[in-house]
Amino acid sequence: MPEVIIDGNQFEFDSDKDGSLLQFILDQGLEVPFFCYHPSMSVPANCRQCMVKVGTPVKDRETGEYELDDDGKRVIRWFPKMQTSCNTQLSDGMVVHTQETDKLVERAQKDTLEFILANHPLDCPICDQAGECPLQIQTYKYGPEGSRFEVKKVHKPKRVHLGPRVTLDAERCINCTRCVRFTDEISESKQLTIVQRGDKNYPVAAPGREFDDAYSMNTIDLCPVGALTSTDFRFKARVWEMNQTPSIDISNGKGTNIDLWTRDNLVLRITPRYNEDVNDYWMPDVSRNAYKMFNENRVSRPSQKLDNEQVQSSWNNAFATLAEQIEKTDNEKIVFVGSPHASVEENYLLMILSNLLAGSTPVFTPHIIDGAGDNFLLTDDQAPNTNGCLLLGLDELSKKDLSGKIKKAELVILLNDNLMGRDVLTAGDFKNAFFTMFATNNTVTSKDADLVIPITTAAEHAASYVNVDKRIQRTVPAKETKYSNRRLDIEMSEGRLDRYGTSFDNWVTEENKVDCLPMWSITNELSDILGLNITYKNSRQIMSEIAEQSPAFSGVSFQAMDEQSGIDLTATKHTVKS
Amino acid sequence: MSSADWKNFEPVLIPNTKDLHKIDVYQKNGGYGALKEVLTDKKKWEGPKDVVNEVKAANIRGRGGAGFNAGLKWSFMPPADGKPRYLACNGDESEPGTFKDRKIFEYNPHVFIEGALIAAYAMEITSIYVYIRGEYIDYIDMMQKAIDDAYEKGFIGKNIFGTDYSVEFYVHSGAGAYICGEETSMLESLEGKRGYPRVKPPFPAQKGLWGRPTTINNIETLAHVVSVINKGASWFSGIGAENHPGPVLYGISGHVNRPGVYELPSGVPVLDLIHDVAGGMRNGKELKAVIPGGSSTPVLRADQLDGVSMDSDSLREVGTMMGTAGMVIMDEDTNMVDVLWRIAHFYHHESCGQCTPCRDGTGWLEKILLKIKNGEGEIKDLDLLLDITTQMEGRTICALADAAAWPVRHTINRFRDEFEARCKKSVHAVA
Repeated sequence: MPEVIIDGNQFEFDSDKDGSLLQFILDQGLEVPFFCYHPSMSVPANCRQCMVKVGTPVKDRETGEYELDDDGKRVIRWFPKMQTSCNTQLSDGMVVHTQETDKLVERAQKDTLEFILANHPLDCPICDQAGECPLQIQTYKYGPEGSRFEVKKVHKPKRVHLGPRVTLDAERCINCTRCVRFTDEISESKQLTIVQRGDKNYPVAAPGREFDDAYSMNTIDLCPVGALTSTDFRFKARVWEMNQTPSIDISNGKGTNIDLWTRDNLVLRITPRYNEDVNDYWMPDVSRNAYKMFNENRVSRPSQKLDNEQVQSSWNNAFATLAEQIEKTDNEKIVFVGSPHASVEENYLLMILSNLLAGSTPVFTPHIIDGAGDNFLLTDDQAPNTNGCLLLGLDELSKKDLSGKIKKAELVILLNDNLMGRDVLTAGDFKNAFFTMFATNNTVTSKDADLVIPITTAAEHAASYVNVDKRIQRTVPAKETKYSNRRLDIEMSEGRLDRYGTSFDNWVTEENKVDCLPMWSITNELSDILGLNITYKNSRQIMSEIAEQSPAFSGVSFQAMDEQSGIDLTATKHTVKS
Repeated sequence: MSSADWKNFEPVLIPNTKDLHKIDVYQKNGGYGALKEVLTDKKKWEGPKDVVNEVKAANIRGRGGAGFNAGLKWSFMPPADGKPRYLACNGDESEPGTFKDRKIFEYNPHVFIEGALIAAYAMEITSIYVYIRGEYIDYIDMMQKAIDDAYEKGFIGKNIFGTDYSVEFYVHSGAGAYICGEETSMLESLEGKRGYPRVKPPFPAQKGLWGRPTTINNIETLAHVVSVINKGASWFSGIGAENHPGPVLYGISGHVNRPGVYELPSGVPVLDLIHDVAGGMRNGKELKAVIPGGSSTPVLRADQLDGVSMDSDSLREVGTMMGTAGMVIMDEDTNMVDVLWRIAHFYHHESCGQCTPCRDGTGWLEKILLKIKNGEGEIKDLDLLLDITTQMEGRTICALADAAAWPVRHTINRFRDEFEARCKKSVHAVA
């Protein structure tokens, strides 16, 4: 294997796979500061921050052997200038000195940071990026102490409305061109360009045009400073006040890997999480705005219809009412309706219930809008778990069949799916039945139900979803409900405020905890009343049970999903067959 | 001909011929003969490679400023593969103090066209672009007219002189950016993009215009090709200084009696150029400083000029460069602080903003110099300026940062007294 010597340590590299010296250094867990480089985009080498000293061994032209000096060491021919490691290609025997071992490199990096900071407004105290800002971090690590820049800074436009979702502060911009390259190479809308020259330049959309790319908000994550900020999230929270919890996007079928950022049990923003097999570093803007469904318009406490009006009820009453309805209805007249919007575990619990009650197999209707997808991260499928329902063996029904089936039913038990909102059913379909709904959010459908039982969302429970490519991935609880506790749930992350905050802090309150239960807990309660002997402890246990019983899910467990960042079920099926 | 005989030199690029810009007059004076010979005389010129070798032997040092052997540059082109290849002719000429290519556009456009066509044939190139700075609006029209005339005569286009060699020739106008004179940002500009210099490697000979092999030459360099073909490489390399041979267009400006463009052998003594060629200092003033080759080349004090001649070796000895041979002559009334501020202002204004050290360094330099110019500077600012130039030099994609840093460093070093005199007195007593 070819090798490269970095700061005196020898590393082997794969000449087919490894190209860029900077990426190789990062892959080894070493560090060189950089701003403009991004592994998924072209390399402009314009920030000049990742300077290193590079040399190659001298070979004898005739023999092809390395030339040796008097001490028997290889003679190294150093490049006359320092090189930017991002666009330096690895070659066998290359010797690299980074800032760790070379004073000149250290000085060069410090110099570049001094230049970058010269015209930077240094308004970190009021900047959204502070706390997660590469410029801030690298300045602390590699930057100069103080500034020698005692003349007037360049002034550029501030609070520029670039598009509906992105706001620009041009003074903070360090012209790395990541955003421009993103629209050129990744989203291909080519909406951004740099205007002006020299220290006056900044990125902007064409005159009279909006930066309304369906992926525009990725530029906010890409921006290594606070120049591009989210119009929605701007000034809402400091980074260090929030919890970051890995999760899965449930606003469409792609299963984009995300991080949920919460403070005081409100999801404040969603950012993409790297997964090479699903979404790389990106996510669509609509999925980011889906954070509102975790906070707003939630069903909190069960409610029951009395005299055609929904009134809040106790949990005891809700369970007793549902159990009574199940007991008094002929098993064949009960219709269990599953949901592509709910997790694998929730749909599975519905199947268990219908099995134990000797009812018919649960049914579901996929939520597909033709033409909504774009061959990138948006899919026609609007639900995160259509494949999960199919693999579990739920009956897929068309709109017409579902409506026909429900019209004949006496008891409908619907798992969280806004069937009336998406024009599958109408209020008239439920006329003859007692309509029970497990719901997360208030919708036209839940408003019509005779009994609404609130359940947890993807932000509050651990649960698995199978995306359009049959990849199963899981969420992690990010926000507490009335009945869960961050300190007791080993999966929930604790931010600084969660750990050390007191009720005297602004951001530690009870008011944002929703009064809802996970589906397994509700099933346990029902089985107590109905004498069904269902005792689940958590979703992890349910997934293991599914994996044991269903060949489609063989080998799947929470642990395996965590280790492999999701499991491709088409692949596992193959291995089982062979 | 040695440099000493410069008085007897017959100009070849801008000879004293009336109406030479007209194609008929140019032809009457032997124009397009070299092109015809190269294309049709198979005994003398067996193939394109012979032309490359001849030009290589002539040692035409690129006249755009870098001084690289043109024939050697041509030989870097990969073998022809039937797909497009380009010659990009650099007429962006934006370096302050430089106005030589303009003379060619104005007085003898066909010698450049002929030279470019020979170069294109030598490298088996299919399209030629001439990139002319936007401010030369009249010369762009004149160039277009000259090219149209040459098309009409059949010197450009399909099957030139009945051979199977065909080439197209396009004029492209710049839009006022100095940086587009840098060869790779000129390519970006030709492609219709923002004029950002490209990261090298890959070099233009491998991946140039639209990703295809491309050679970029200065206008004057290509114009010299004609006399190399007509009179032979040995004639050319025998003229002027040994390591920087051939005629040179000296653009002399500043405080002299007869500023202008003069075609003379390389290696003419600087003082001869000032006192004899350009008619001496204006109003009989004393010479103070000379910028030898465009604003980016380090300035020379009058007392450094004895025995210095305009060729790369001699100029290197006194710590400056040949550049574009656009000489700026300054007399005793010139204030070097003002001169340097003006130069720094230019580079600040023209930095494309791609690389950090240049983007923020050029502005910083200018702002400190403005402070000193206004009498508000301190002695420590001079050292800061020198520090900034070190931080900029050699750390960017193209050479603009170097071009901005050199004049600052060398002007301060060579005229430090003047700068210190303009600074505020230090309040700190020396211990």
